[in-house]
Amino acid sequence: MLKANEESLGAAMIPSYDFSKANTIVSVGANFLCSWGATIENTKQYGQTREVGEGKNEMSRHYHFESILTLTGANADYRTPIKPSEEGAVVIQLYNLIANKAGRSIVSGGIEKPTLAKAADELWENRGKALVVAGSNDKAIQILVNGINDMLNSYGSTILPNLPVNYRMGNDEAMATFMNDVQANRIGSVIFYNCNPVYDHPMGAQLAESLKNISLSVATGFKEEETGTLCQFLAPDHHYLESWNDAEPRTNHFSLAQPTITPIFMTRAAQESFLVWSGEEQTNYFEFVKENWRSRFYQGGQFDFQTFWDKCLYDGVYEQTAQGGSVSFNGNVSEAASSIATNYKPGDLELVIYANGTVGNGSQANNPLLQELADPITKVVWDNYVTVSPKDAGDISFDESHTKLATITVNDKSIKLPIMVQPGQTPGTIGVALGYGRTKAGKVADGIGANAYPLVSMVNGSLSYVATGVKFQKHDDEDYQLAQTQTQNTYMGRKSVIQETTLQDFNNGTFEKEKFRPVVNTWKEKDHKIDPEKMTLWNNYEYKGHHWGMAIDLNTCTGCSACIVACNVENNVAVVGREEVINRREMQWLRIDRYYSSDANADDWTGAEKASENPDVVFQPMLCQHCNSAPCETVCPVAATTHSTEGLNQMAYNRCIGTRYCANNCPYKVRRFNWFKYHDNKQFATVNTSMNTDLGKMVLNPDVTVRSRGVMEKCTFCVQRIQSGKLSARKERRTLKDGEVVTACAAACTTGAILFGDMNDPESRIAKHLKVRPTYPDKPYVNDKDSENLRAYSVLEEINTRPNIFYLAKVRNRDEANV
Amino acid sequence: MASNKNFLVGVFEDEDVLVNAVRIVRSKGVRIHEVFTPFPVHGLDEVLGYTRSRLPIAAFLFGLTGTSLALLMQYWMLGFDWPMIIGGKPHAALPPFIPVTFEFTVLLSALGMVATFLIVSDMKPYGKPRQFDVRSTDDKLVMAIDLDVNKTQNRTAITQLLRDAGASEVNEKVFA
Amino acid sequence: MQVTSAIRDPLITGGKTLKDVSHDVSRQVENKPTGLWYIGMAISLSLLAFGFYCVCVLLWEGIGVWGLNKTVGWAWDITNFVWWVGIGHAGTLISAILLLFRQRWRMSINRAAEAMTIFAVICAATFPMMHMGRLWLGFYWALPLPNTYGSLWVNFNSPLLWDVFAISTYFIVSLVFWYIGLIPDFATIRDRAYVQGADTRAAIYNALSFGWQGGAKTWMRYESVALILAGLSTPLVLSVHTIVSMDFATSVIPGWHTTIFPPYFVAGAIFSGFAMVLTLVLVTRKVFKLEDYITIYHIEMMNIIIIVTGSIVGIAYITELFIAWYSGVEYEGYAFFNRVQGPYAWAYWSMMTCNVISPQLFWIKKIRTSLVATFVLSIVVNIGMWFERFVIIVTSLHRDYLPSSWTMFHPTMYDIGEYLFTFGFFFTAFLLFAKFFPVVNMAEIKSILKATSSEGKHGTPREADKTRH
Repeated sequence: MLKANEESLGAAMIPSYDFSKANTIVSVGANFLCSWGATIENTKQYGQTREVGEGKNEMSRHYHFESILTLTGANADYRTPIKPSEEGAVVIQLYNLIANKAGRSIVSGGIEKPTLAKAADELWENRGKALVVAGSNDKAIQILVNGINDMLNSYGSTILPNLPVNYRMGNDEAMATFMNDVQANRIGSVIFYNCNPVYDHPMGAQLAESLKNISLSVATGFKEEETGTLCQFLAPDHHYLESWNDAEPRTNHFSLAQPTITPIFMTRAAQESFLVWSGEEQTNYFEFVKENWRSRFYQGGQFDFQTFWDKCLYDGVYEQTAQGGSVSFNGNVSEAASSIATNYKPGDLELVIYANGTVGNGSQANNPLLQELADPITKVVWDNYVTVSPKDAGDISFDESHTKLATITVNDKSIKLPIMVQPGQTPGTIGVALGYGRTKAGKVADGIGANAYPLVSMVNGSLSYVATGVKFQKHDDEDYQLAQTQTQNTYMGRKSVIQETTLQDFNNGTFEKEKFRPVVNTWKEKDHKIDPEKMTLWNNYEYKGHHWGMAIDLNTCTGCSACIVACNVENNVAVVGREEVINRREMQWLRIDRYYSSDANADDWTGAEKASENPDVVFQPMLCQHCNSAPCETVCPVAATTHSTEGLNQMAYNRCIGTRYCANNCPYKVRRFNWFKYHDNKQFATVNTSMNTDLGKMVLNPDVTVRSRGVMEKCTFCVQRIQSGKLSARKERRTLKDGEVVTACAAACTTGAILFGDMNDPESRIAKHLKVRPTYPDKPYVNDKDSENLRAYSVLEEINTRPNIFYLAKVRNRDEANV
Repeated sequence: MASNKNFLVGVFEDEDVLVNAVRIVRSKGVRIHEVFTPFPVHGLDEVLGYTRSRLPIAAFLFGLTGTSLALLMQYWMLGFDWPMIIGGKPHAALPPFIPVTFEFTVLLSALGMVATFLIVSDMKPYGKPRQFDVRSTDDKLVMAIDLDVNKTQNRTAITQLLRDAGASEVNEKVFA
Repeated sequence: MQVTSAIRDPLITGGKTLKDVSHDVSRQVENKPTGLWYIGMAISLSLLAFGFYCVCVLLWEGIGVWGLNKTVGWAWDITNFVWWVGIGHAGTLISAILLLFRQRWRMSINRAAEAMTIFAVICAATFPMMHMGRLWLGFYWALPLPNTYGSLWVNFNSPLLWDVFAISTYFIVSLVFWYIGLIPDFATIRDRAYVQGADTRAAIYNALSFGWQGGAKTWMRYESVALILAGLSTPLVLSVHTIVSMDFATSVIPGWHTTIFPPYFVAGAIFSGFAMVLTLVLVTRKVFKLEDYITIYHIEMMNIIIIVTGSIVGIAYITELFIAWYSGVEYEGYAFFNRVQGPYAWAYWSMMTCNVISPQLFWIKKIRTSLVATFVLSIVVNIGMWFERFVIIVTSLHRDYLPSSWTMFHPTMYDIGEYLFTFGFFFTAFLLFAKFFPVVNMAEIKSILKATSSEGKHGTPREADKTRH
């Protein structure tokens, strides 16, 4: 992309993108919510375009062309499966369709795909508010994409060339040259600065071989990894939370990193090592950074330097005015098109190598939280696998994640992996994730899955994560079971679980008319139906103080799963490992249910179990609903779970005797039982590292108990945060402000899909967002509250559990009627 | 209780004969100490002139105690001592308290009645009972007549009476 | 007073005298056990030992050694619990309800059936105990005991707490009822021991008999106690399985939340209980040569009860299916569709075959009077009733409201081990009972010997009755 921009825009930079300004987004294989570009920023901006409500009846329309089902594809309004070799052709086609409208000359090539013409029409209509992105590393493809964006007037609106980003600046060609030089013994000495090419470069194996021949090899890093172990010297670096640092993530945006803990081990910051090795007198890196900032950024004036420095630290960022940079497109599109035609020949079976949303490129693979975080799409944990379309999977039933192993061979390099049958995958395509097959990452990651980096090849001067000449051999005699946190893929047409509509239906009132509102017949007369909440037998309680509630927007939830990790860390949730996930005993308090659509009717209960070939996807974060009429509370024999006067469903671990009745009676199945002792137990020492060693225990949140064996646990709405918020407010003799108390999941949510707050406070964001009103107008503080937000609904409303969590229905921006 | 107690023990083989014999013996003015049988003989209590047992009343009273205790306990514990919001339901309500109340009623009623029975019948797992004939729990039906109570009657006359009434044997039994 | 038909066949055959009854029953207690008994004991004790090992592992490692998961929180544990409680019901039913209905044919079997009740209830109680995550606290925290935590009481709204009261009351009352019945027979054994000169045995059985003498007044009170205990046990036994069924019926899980559960469970309990009584009684009468006391007539009567209760259970199954469809509730409908056609359909159809179809064979007189057929079918019924509970518990839980949590349950060695543990305990206890306790109620048999014996000296039972008044 750098090279493409250099050639076609005249600047070797990667611009910032502003998805929030885009009305029409077309992505060709760019997984921009998960692994492409500034994913968090992208997600936030994308989320802004997906919000719908009264007063905002527009949302972006997102077309997606890709081979494997990715997180971004799952969020798209129109998703078209293509083969990886067709990516270039799809871009050419799009280029030509738009060039026709723009009056530019067209290029040769291109391929007809469903929704492509429609996408081109809408891009053209939304000129200046449109964005096209492509995931390929190929210069030629990116030149064409730049050409399209240029025709759409995206530069300056949705693409910001004046704000180049400074990461992902790697040069594949230069690295390949280095690798060849090492092999050819042309390198005398090398320092690996916190990197691990032996593992994560396609030629890592050759590097490992030839490292021996280098006279001086040094590696820095806070862990001994594949590369470090092979070097002569390993210079232990501080962990990044132990060290000072600064950064310029985006041109003219400077940031400081401040240590949060004194170094635990006898380590030295790598930068300090460099200062020492280069013979500098000043070897204190902190002073070095400070001096640098003094000389570069401090301009004197009314503050002394210390004040300036403190302010920068406090703000976390120091900005300098950007130089206005506009670009003009002058790329050679026809050359790019012909390069595409030569480089991409369709194969019978094509391979996509991708970074998944959990362990990513593998550098953090040794973090058990990430290993146990289910992949947002496949819901597999602790494993690497090859995704195969149901058509290609043949006779694999995938019943309870039972599958077969397969060997994938590319350029005589092969890896053996279990088969994951993945709806939405383009037939004739297989996908393998990076980040697994670590050998020296640590006790957590070592030996999990296989390393896919060796399968990556160089195409047109950059690393290509697709391959065409792939041999795929299924081993019918080798059984394997994947660990999945969810094995039923569809929601069986259950409208009280998932409600969705199209933007059109939402805006023209069809949704309001047809929204699923459960009713019950009464004895009074035929067809007399009432809302089940009116049938309550008892007088409701009134929560005079706070009434905590949550709103979860299915539309802005992208399924990224950051909330799950945040919850795990905040609440000391145990990690249980692959075997226990196979036993379906993961402990996560918050999960994201991922449902595919089915082609069958909702009343065809057998057919509805099967996902469509190219399914619509909906993500539903599911956690304790804090029901006001909680089924779990009634059945506990020892009253270990009761309701607070602020609407919380409380769990007294100390009182719990572990009958599991509450979990059985929970319609949402969000309660988690401590099947074993997960802390201080050798059995879980390798997976649940934070509860089994003294070092690991430093990770635990001191405000939250580590639960013992045999007790039930579940989401508490981060009651420790609520209590501490209330306490500090009380100490300051004031009332709690809205937003002062935020649950870990809501804090982690990039798009704000999770909103937490006090429903009794009419000024709170949640009260306004949901338009909360008491069910009984004469009791303003009643526990039973309704939402007048049109999209709001309670999951399983008809069983009348009266949850404190409201979901906002999913809206798809699609012309066809609701699927 | 220094003096010895003297008994005449009539042994019978058949319950109908025994019932008849009780009638005969009582009609002659002889007071029967007790009749021992290996199985319950119906009608025997009537001919012996026993009044109905009051154990059912005891059972009822114990049951009533159980009902009140259980209800009091539940209302006090959940309604007054430490009220909690459980499932959004009232702190204390009658319907969910019924099962425990019922069980407690039955428990107290049964245990109380049996305890009363054991006490009034002087049954205990220690000590040796006064047995008039060890076969009375096997196949013989035994009528015991306290000679000290029937002082006006002649011992041989009673023996003869018993024999006439159908006793297969008549023995003497002396308890210290 | 007693309503017996003159044309009815005698309940006790073989022209037994009072002495014969004492002898036939007491000799099991007095003689050395047979080789068969030792073999049975060895098998039972090995089951118990293996089961005990599994229980120890369970308590040491945690509930995770079972096959349960986040969705299916109960499986074999509560299945076995309900199954054993159900089996227990027959004993009480035979001694209490049939006593109230003056069914004299119960007398030969009620002792064994009551013993079975006691042991079955103990077996049943082990499961709610063992299934607790923290048994060491739960066994007393589940009781409303004053404590040092302040005002910390139990939750009287919870059906599980009702269970605690129901099961413990049921156990205590059944034990008392059974023991009251044993007292006169212990006295018989004691007195035979005196005669035989076995002083130790006499002393032990004297203590066991509470010094019973059998005076007319005591008998009168005794009968009153027995009648009231029967009167109390009858609603009790119905309440116990009603409350057990409320564990499910009061919940919100489709397939559990069913108002017909109480009668349906009670019928099922009687059904399985009678089947278990038959299994045990058929073996006992053979091993202890009690064919004259437990006759084909007894077996036939029990088989008739099995037809009746089996048919009630069958109607309940069909009603459930009908209501699932008729109610129009999506989740309820799916729960039953899933039972019939889902991954656990094999369990559902095993249940249907064993519980609904197989007992219908008893309409044929030849089958219901055949010992072999009865024995086989009694075991089939108990297998079916186990599946019934498994179907209710596991197939309802494994696919409930949110499809994302749907899962399967796979038992482990420890699930099976804990079940075997209760079998080991049950048979060990039953064999000990059969050796040391009179297996047939001698006193009651003696009371009906004349009235129903084929060689009654005083003519027909009816005439005998008349002579008493």
